[in-house]
Amino acid sequence: MESCDFLSLLKEQGHLPRDPIHLPTNAADFDTTEGTTILAVRYRDGVLMAGDRRATMGNTVVYDRADKVLSIDDDAVLALAGSPAVAYEIARLLEVSFQHYRRSQLQVLSLDGKLRILSRLLRDNLPLALQGIGAVVPIFAAFDACGNAGKIFFYDILGAQFESVDFCATGSGSPIIRGALYHYNRWEEKLVNMDEAASLELVLKMLETAAEFDTATGGLKPSARIFPQIRRITAAGIDTIPEDVLESLYHSELQPRT
Amino acid sequence: MLEEPYRWVEAIQNRREYLEDQLRGASPVVGLSYEDGILLLTTTPGPCKLFEVYDDLSFAAIGHPADIEKLRKAVIDIAHLEAFNFSAKDVSLQRLVSFGIGPLIKAAFDEIFRSPFIARVLMAELDPQSSHDRFCVIDADGSFRGEEHEAAVAGSENSVNAICKSLRNESTTERSLSQALDAGLQAWAAGRINLENEALTLPDKKAIEGCLQEALESQRFEAAVLDRTRSTKSKFALLAADEIDAVLAAYR
Repeated sequence: MESCDFLSLLKEQGHLPRDPIHLPTNAADFDTTEGTTILAVRYRDGVLMAGDRRATMGNTVVYDRADKVLSIDDDAVLALAGSPAVAYEIARLLEVSFQHYRRSQLQVLSLDGKLRILSRLLRDNLPLALQGIGAVVPIFAAFDACGNAGKIFFYDILGAQFESVDFCATGSGSPIIRGALYHYNRWEEKLVNMDEAASLELVLKMLETAAEFDTATGGLKPSARIFPQIRRITAAGIDTIPEDVLESLYHSELQPRT
Repeated sequence: MLEEPYRWVEAIQNRREYLEDQLRGASPVVGLSYEDGILLLTTTPGPCKLFEVYDDLSFAAIGHPADIEKLRKAVIDIAHLEAFNFSAKDVSLQRLVSFGIGPLIKAAFDEIFRSPFIARVLMAELDPQSSHDRFCVIDADGSFRGEEHEAAVAGSENSVNAICKSLRNESTTERSLSQALDAGLQAWAAGRINLENEALTLPDKKAIEGCLQEALESQRFEAAVLDRTRSTKSKFALLAADEIDAVLAAYR
């Protein structure tokens, strides 16, 4: 039977290196562009996946409109923390791989199959990650039609895959908000029971909190119309929360107490 | 034997005749433009015959199912490699045919110790902005030609001419989907009836009804669109059976 694996096709035809890339031993001394913070929260109707917009290189902010939350197909979203160069390539490979599978095999790749491809890509990237540049720590979210629920998965840099029950955050700002999210989920209100408006407000507050303590995370800047990127994954599909909604929420719920 | 040029020419001629013979009885595939895009229509005893290649590109063929699958897989591979290495906008009908599937079929046709592809292919490309949709017919020897507004692949040239003539008698790109389906069914029947005919004759309504009723007894009609108005990246969609049945009802 002919291979239906797009990654193998790329390697066979020489479009991807067959062997791991080895860099000079001092590669880690170079500053590389990095992006943080991303988080995903399960709520009543599905999953909200969000990311700040800042990309940094050492102490320098290189970009403040980076897209870190990407739709991969009609069912899946990938959020990226770490090296954008590798992360965007992984996202692109995933998107084309899923399309290639659907069109060539005349069926949609299963959720397990999608997770497996992402795991392989991260494992293939291990040499770069271990050399101190090119590490990517993604969050993958999809709506599982069988279970009628949104699902969140996260990975380590070796490609090990874990499923989050309530929420997940990665990137340099994540330790700050993981504690806050745990506290909220444990003693305030269960995240999975929250409606969309409340969940959206919480996500914005978490990103604002991460930006307060982590220089690599960009905050909300309405004057320049810079807002986090938030995608909604529900049974109806995937869509992006419009900036107008985020701006309105910012002015109504995120203002300092007087 | 192949050191002698005339033997090679003879071998090629034999294989051309063999391919014509193998493709003669195939159910035609009809492609036509309508107001929102492109409609493709054919009959099949079971397996799907109309396929998506890329967001705005479709593939259909007559011939041996295994060869059709090989070609379909090859063109999908090329399209996705192009999309990955360049961008989705660089995946075009012209490039896929001229540098992909055309040379692939030609190479198999010329290598007389290899089996040729028993297939005649119809590819279509949707113009996202206007109604300059394009078709391309790739023959079993690898030769190809572009068409606009309507195109077909069938078991004989006479059948293709009958389909195109039938469609040209109708208004072209202004028709709705249901009007296009109706025009496509009539053209398919005209092509089917003219498969074995020596001279081209456009059948009357009674002959078309008879042909369609006969086809419905053993086959199912399959139709797909490349629809500009779809909000998704992919513009390809197979039509549901009830959408086709609504138009077919007039001929039952």
